[in-house]
Amino acid sequence: MLKTFFQHRMTELSLTIIFIIGFGILVATSHGILLHRNSLQGFLTYLAVPIVIGMAQMVVLCIGQMNLAVGAMGGVSSGVMAVLMAQHHYPIWLALLIGFLVATGVGAINGALVVLTQLNGFIITLGTMTILLGFQYRLVRSFTIDGYPISLPNFGAKSVLGFPLILMIAIATSVLLSLFFSRTATGRRVLATGGNALAARLSGVSNNRSVLIAHTLSGALVGVASIITIASLPGINRSIGGDWMLSSFAAPIIGGVLMAGGTVAVYGTIVAAGVVRLVDIARAQYSLDPSIVSLTVGVVVLSTVALSEWRRRRSERAREGMKVSR
Amino acid sequence: MSVASKAKRVISDQRVILLALTVVLFLFFGFKNSAFFNTDFVLYPLLRDGAVLTVIGLAQLCALSIGHLNLAVGRMAAVAALAAGSAYQYLHFSLIPGVIVGLLAGSILGAVTGLIIVKSQVNAFIVTLAMDFALLGFVTFIYVSFTGATAAFITKPKGMDYWRNTSLHQYCIAKLCGPSVFPMMLIPSIIALALVGFLFARTKLGRELLATGSNLRAAKLSGIPVDRRVIIAHTFSGLLAALAGVMLAFTNGSFTAAIGSQFMLPSFLGPVLGGTLLVGGSVAVLGTFIGTMLTLVIRQGLSVQGIGLETLNIALGLVLLTALSLGQIQKMLVSLRMRGRG
Repeated sequence: MLKTFFQHRMTELSLTIIFIIGFGILVATSHGILLHRNSLQGFLTYLAVPIVIGMAQMVVLCIGQMNLAVGAMGGVSSGVMAVLMAQHHYPIWLALLIGFLVATGVGAINGALVVLTQLNGFIITLGTMTILLGFQYRLVRSFTIDGYPISLPNFGAKSVLGFPLILMIAIATSVLLSLFFSRTATGRRVLATGGNALAARLSGVSNNRSVLIAHTLSGALVGVASIITIASLPGINRSIGGDWMLSSFAAPIIGGVLMAGGTVAVYGTIVAAGVVRLVDIARAQYSLDPSIVSLTVGVVVLSTVALSEWRRRRSERAREGMKVSR
Repeated sequence: MSVASKAKRVISDQRVILLALTVVLFLFFGFKNSAFFNTDFVLYPLLRDGAVLTVIGLAQLCALSIGHLNLAVGRMAAVAALAAGSAYQYLHFSLIPGVIVGLLAGSILGAVTGLIIVKSQVNAFIVTLAMDFALLGFVTFIYVSFTGATAAFITKPKGMDYWRNTSLHQYCIAKLCGPSVFPMMLIPSIIALALVGFLFARTKLGRELLATGSNLRAAKLSGIPVDRRVIIAHTFSGLLAALAGVMLAFTNGSFTAAIGSQFMLPSFLGPVLGGTLLVGGSVAVLGTFIGTMLTLVIRQGLSVQGIGLETLNIALGLVLLTALSLGQIQKMLVSLRMRGRG
């Protein structure tokens, strides 16, 4: 019992250990500066967005597709929020709601296009990404929009017992998502589509519906990430979302989500986002070049993919071996 | 075959429609604003960009032929430019040997990618995406650590300016000179088109690649070494991406980490518009060239009208999505007609 538990939780467990050791090393080499209130606050605050965009990518990965447009969707939806508040003086809640709905709507359009054309989500989202980048530049131009009510950044800076509120939003979202996949029939159906589309169809699951749900959910999660972004950053400009793509893939893949679909790993994604964040902190601490972060993360992603595939094939072979011995 | 049915076939050929559309748009933009017909500032750069993007389209086409995608085309181009640039900077290579170094780097990278795909049996687009991430950091890292703040290799080999600035105009037979609108850069592109076209239309290897793409199992059962074909397709893809990267570096006049970062969308636009299937088994080599030119005419045409980058992006994204949907509608119509007959 215990053994199977560890086997199933191997990725999560080792990531947690890596996170703790890495954090310890960083604390030790910075002479404890990382544990100071402000730096710890910063570390945790900027962990919120990677977690949520990791989730946004994860829900699409779990049906065996990908969403290249996460960054562009986030850029447009946070741009919409900022413009509505700063230039049209909408109340905060309404602006955030509209921005959230824009992201969700784009996700639904992605899903609908995938269903209509029956093509992989990759190429569809490549198209929508390009279109959205155009809209983002049109919307934000080359300005930094920060003329919105001060209560929003104040809200973003709030913390409860030293724990940033927006990180709690991110974690709460993740918990809800985890419940969706483990407790609801709809979530199970989406996973079934990702695991084996043919088997899912034969057991009465509408794969088209699953695709639509996954992409829409991805859009909604990007909407949440945009809300977090606008609450935690001093202003919105056209660079928002530009660096989301790599981290959106890195967190779920390192966290144990198979790119072939059929699995989700909410806790793993959160811890993996934390580990990636540690690499970022280490870069700042040892004043290394930013490219070292993408190099490290890229190599880790590549080897994770190779390793997980090797493990899968080994277990398959072991199963075949068992069949023969019977 | 009667003349009428022949004509019908020509008209319904996707490439003919595409070519007609390109010409119509070309004339439309030109008549709307005659600045569009300016040779030096519009048409020459347009054809020069077209030369580079056609090659990157062909790089993607090689992966598409076996039903794979290569998401790392841009980064492979960057590595090739990096290799060529450093050969010029540190080893003082002359023009052609440097290009060969770049092409070798790209081919090796493509072969390694193919090998990983075959050995791990992981989906090609996952492997190439991960490859893209790894190379993204690698390329920037190398540029920054070797060249510091400039982040570029600036040594220009002798003859580079010739390739980026001159046209066929200087070559004359008797009194007849080549058109000044024809960039020298188009020559490697035409050679690549001819070779890739020959590969898929005339050689056994090309047919085996297409067979692998249209039905892997059937190809395997008929004795095609599919694993080796997959590696070869990705090697070609890497080689052509490298060629495009070096060509872009020549066009820009410097070797930087930014080379290839804009390649992903165009690499799909050309082949997809030209009629290459995403699922493999069918390629459109000449169509890739026409598709690339169509996107460039749209891009340049809009920018001559004074429309900004943002609208260009919107237009190009819409073009891609429309092309994909049209392909699907066409397929649906065909299957409906078949069903009607049956």
